[in-house]
Amino acid sequence: MAAVRLWRWRCRCRALLSRPAGAVRAQRGLAAGPEMHFGFQTVTEEERREKIYQVFETVAKKYDVMNDSMTLGIHRVWKDILVHKMNPCPGTLLLDVAGGTGDIAFRFINYVRSVRQRQLQRKLKHNQNLSWQEIFESYQEDKFNSLGDSQVVVCDINREMLKVGKQKAQRLGYSEGLSWVLGNAEELPFDDDKFDVYTIAFGIRNVTRIDLALQEAYRVLKPGGRFLCLEFSHVSNPLLSRLYDLYSFQVIPVLGEVIAGDWRSYQYLVESIRQFPPQEELKAMIEDAGFFKVDYENLNFGIVAIHSGFKL
Amino acid sequence: MLRGPALLLLLRRPAPGGPAHGRHCHRQQEREQGSGSGSGSGSGSGSARPQPPEPSLLRFLVCPLSKRPLRYEEATNELINEELGIAYPIIDGIPNMVPEAARMTHKKAPAEGSEQP
Repeated sequence: MAAVRLWRWRCRCRALLSRPAGAVRAQRGLAAGPEMHFGFQTVTEEERREKIYQVFETVAKKYDVMNDSMTLGIHRVWKDILVHKMNPCPGTLLLDVAGGTGDIAFRFINYVRSVRQRQLQRKLKHNQNLSWQEIFESYQEDKFNSLGDSQVVVCDINREMLKVGKQKAQRLGYSEGLSWVLGNAEELPFDDDKFDVYTIAFGIRNVTRIDLALQEAYRVLKPGGRFLCLEFSHVSNPLLSRLYDLYSFQVIPVLGEVIAGDWRSYQYLVESIRQFPPQEELKAMIEDAGFFKVDYENLNFGIVAIHSGFKL
Repeated sequence: MLRGPALLLLLRRPAPGGPAHGRHCHRQQEREQGSGSGSGSGSGSGSARPQPPEPSLLRFLVCPLSKRPLRYEEATNELINEELGIAYPIIDGIPNMVPEAARMTHKKAPAEGSEQP
């Protein structure tokens, strides 16, 4: 296993060192190659990556505002449900991929903080007869350990999204236990067996090679670790599906133009939702990557689905 | 001295809608106080005071190509993979861990500041 990896990275390094950057991507099988979809258009893999990068670079500043207006604020509930499903305890290490503006990361920190608060309160309650000195000391401990050593690493491929996220974190006062990394979900800069939970919320749709991203997710998770994916999915109810289509194609690009000044990006967004594999297919892909007990939960009749899997 | 760039940043960037408006003044002050990090966020690779990454993050980071540990180089504010001889830049405290952005150290190639997939 180690020998295969060694051989693989040797080939990559030889390629990287001996050829200019453009050809490196060709070596790694990323150039002109198979045709892929970008919304309803057909593009090459390379073009798709660039286009998606540009989409998020353009929308980064208005991302949160647009999310609220498109989903009428419901995306907050979806993200809350994801973190509740995760149910992290203090000491959890979370990797949030495509986490751009940090929504999941902040919710994770809030959740862990409140769990930790309750833990400490319970501890105090059991020690009702402490001396004032001991009570004072226990408060001092809490200050340094309000997260209980939990940590979240936010990884995204887009610099603009991370910038917005970092500014938001500063503004909202999140500093402890939070790190930002610019990285590719298909080639994560993390070592094996490192994280307790891996989440990707509304990001996997934009990954060009989903299978690679899932393999990387499997690699960086610790044994017993959990994979959670929150993503737009397919609505089976025909009436609802028609209404949803109507809303998606008539209202959302218009909102995009009015609020963000960019209808094309939002046209891409709604098209990409239609192109994304449905629940069962994604479940099969996750199982292919090696996860066990893969399951999904539909939210809002399938508009959004949470897929979960374990590395066992 | 640092007010100038900070104010320019504020003028250039459109203010986000909604709740952020009320805190606009507060943010202005924060921006000026935290100008060490603020000046970096606008100018990209030309930041006056490079921010080192947090030590907790360095524990996790490895080279995305070889998955080998990296060494933090304070002088150039980069993460260096000795074996492959490549260096990943750290911009505004965010390590840029995509191979396209890496610079080859022994060939002394010019650094590719902005990564582009």
